[in-house]
Amino acid sequence: MIWLQLLAQGLVTGCALGVVAISFSLIYATTRIFHVAHAGVYTMGGYVAWSLIQHGVPDPLALILAIAACTAVGALIQHQLYHRLERRRATQLVILIASLGVLAVIQNIIAAVYTPNILQFASAWGGRTLSLGGVLVSYAQLLIVLVSLATYGGLLFFAHRTLLGKRIRAVASNPFLAEITRLQPQDVYVIVIAIASAVVCLPGVLVPFELGLQPYGGVTVLLTATIAMIAGGVGSITGAFVLAVAIAVLQNLSLLVMPGEWSIGVTFFIFVIFMLFRPRGLFAAG
Amino acid sequence: MDFLNSYIVLAEIYVLLALSTNLLVGIVGIFSVSQAAVFGVGAYIVAALLMGDILPFLPAILVAALCCVALNILVTLPSLRVAGDYFVVTSFGIQLLATAVFTNWTEGTGGANGLPGIPPPAILGFEFDSTGQFLLLSSAALAAGCLCFWLIMRAPFGRLLRAIREDEMAVAAAGKNVLRAKVGAAALAGALAGLAGGVYGTFLSFIDPSSFDLDASILMLTMVVVGGARTLTGSILGPFLLLALPQLLTLVEIPSTIAAAMRQLIYGLLLIAFMLFRPQGLAGERL
Repeated sequence: MIWLQLLAQGLVTGCALGVVAISFSLIYATTRIFHVAHAGVYTMGGYVAWSLIQHGVPDPLALILAIAACTAVGALIQHQLYHRLERRRATQLVILIASLGVLAVIQNIIAAVYTPNILQFASAWGGRTLSLGGVLVSYAQLLIVLVSLATYGGLLFFAHRTLLGKRIRAVASNPFLAEITRLQPQDVYVIVIAIASAVVCLPGVLVPFELGLQPYGGVTVLLTATIAMIAGGVGSITGAFVLAVAIAVLQNLSLLVMPGEWSIGVTFFIFVIFMLFRPRGLFAAG
Repeated sequence: MDFLNSYIVLAEIYVLLALSTNLLVGIVGIFSVSQAAVFGVGAYIVAALLMGDILPFLPAILVAALCCVALNILVTLPSLRVAGDYFVVTSFGIQLLATAVFTNWTEGTGGANGLPGIPPPAILGFEFDSTGQFLLLSSAALAAGCLCFWLIMRAPFGRLLRAIREDEMAVAAAGKNVLRAKVGAAALAGALAGLAGGVYGTFLSFIDPSSFDLDASILMLTMVVVGGARTLTGSILGPFLLLALPQLLTLVEIPSTIAAAMRQLIYGLLLIAFMLFRPQGLAGERL
């Protein structure tokens, strides 16, 4: 039954990864910025929650405050950095390098303050497990799945049914037309990155409840999420989520035949296959 | 004196790496954070060939450079065919994958403990075993790298690469093969990084994965950005300045446990500041 346990583990990791992929996809499809610093925001959320809990803040409140912090940092990056660069007609390459700089800054501030070692959450509830049909699942894992599915549904609803969601999709599909119809793309970009940063904070806090915190772990997560986004088709929320789950399940099942250190190889192999045979992704529109 | 010499040798090696990064990021305008991975492959291949007494130094360097060229072509071909942003993913992926291989393939690379005891290079029976003698070797490698870069920038191929950066569509419309030119540039970048790797490993006589990780790639990018993109002067200036930085940091009292994080933090701040206020670096052209 080891494969069943691995399958369950893959589904849990995949749901969390799916949320990261959706949030990145939201930014990338709208602003066309390859927001590498998103990995830093993801990592930061966990550390903020950890410090607050250490200081006696109850878990749910710590999560909410961490989300607020991530939202603020995300909006700040767009407003103070990307927007300034775009005003000076900087190339995509320049923005990407600046974003990489932000990632390095966030990660290393964390490493300098909290040391590069793995930190564990002290909360007791996350580790408690229950057995579902012979598969052991922890409360933290269950929460990750529920929150991720809710986020996926919520974002789908937001993007297609609300006025703001429609405005974001309008800006994404044609920034020039959005500009002349006064949809104010620059404001939309700030909102989009703020929302995506808030969303990415959820797995950023919940996953470490199970696996612990590490300052440099965000890059691998974001890379896998980006691959899921591309394989799913840029701009497709469902595509990004489904492919993230699929990749995480494949990664976990690959543990049956090879050690875990090589799972980045599995991910990358999937990416190369997609690049060669279906570069537009599975769920690409048009 | 030895201290100064080893600083110069290391800076010269990093000039080769900066040239390699500059070629991709500055000249052609492809974002790349996998230079350190290629650098590492070069270093490990030369180390393996010398330690196993399979080949002498010069042929070993040649083999390593060729392997790095092949690796870079293999890596860039599928993603450059599709779109620029896909290469960002590829380049992060290769870097993380290479770190995983360097760290976990214990039989080949010594794993996290690294490979100690790489023999000093010897050319025609002359051994470069002191730092002063090594300075000759690294300066020769540097001269070769710079000459190569300078010649290519003057050649039609160099103009083609610059043109691609300005307007890819126009170059394609003029009947030039854009993909082939980009992959050619990547191949050349691979050769430079491989050469640097071989010289680096034999100089330190010890290599471990920490010299070839994502942080190292970010350092190379920072060197190009600070020195200035797209020029030879920029690629020479950047490494000499940035390698002096850790020495300056030792003057400030910071605990050794966070020294590495502080260094990377400064590189990150430099990247942001230069992109915002001086995208052409100290002696370069606009990125």
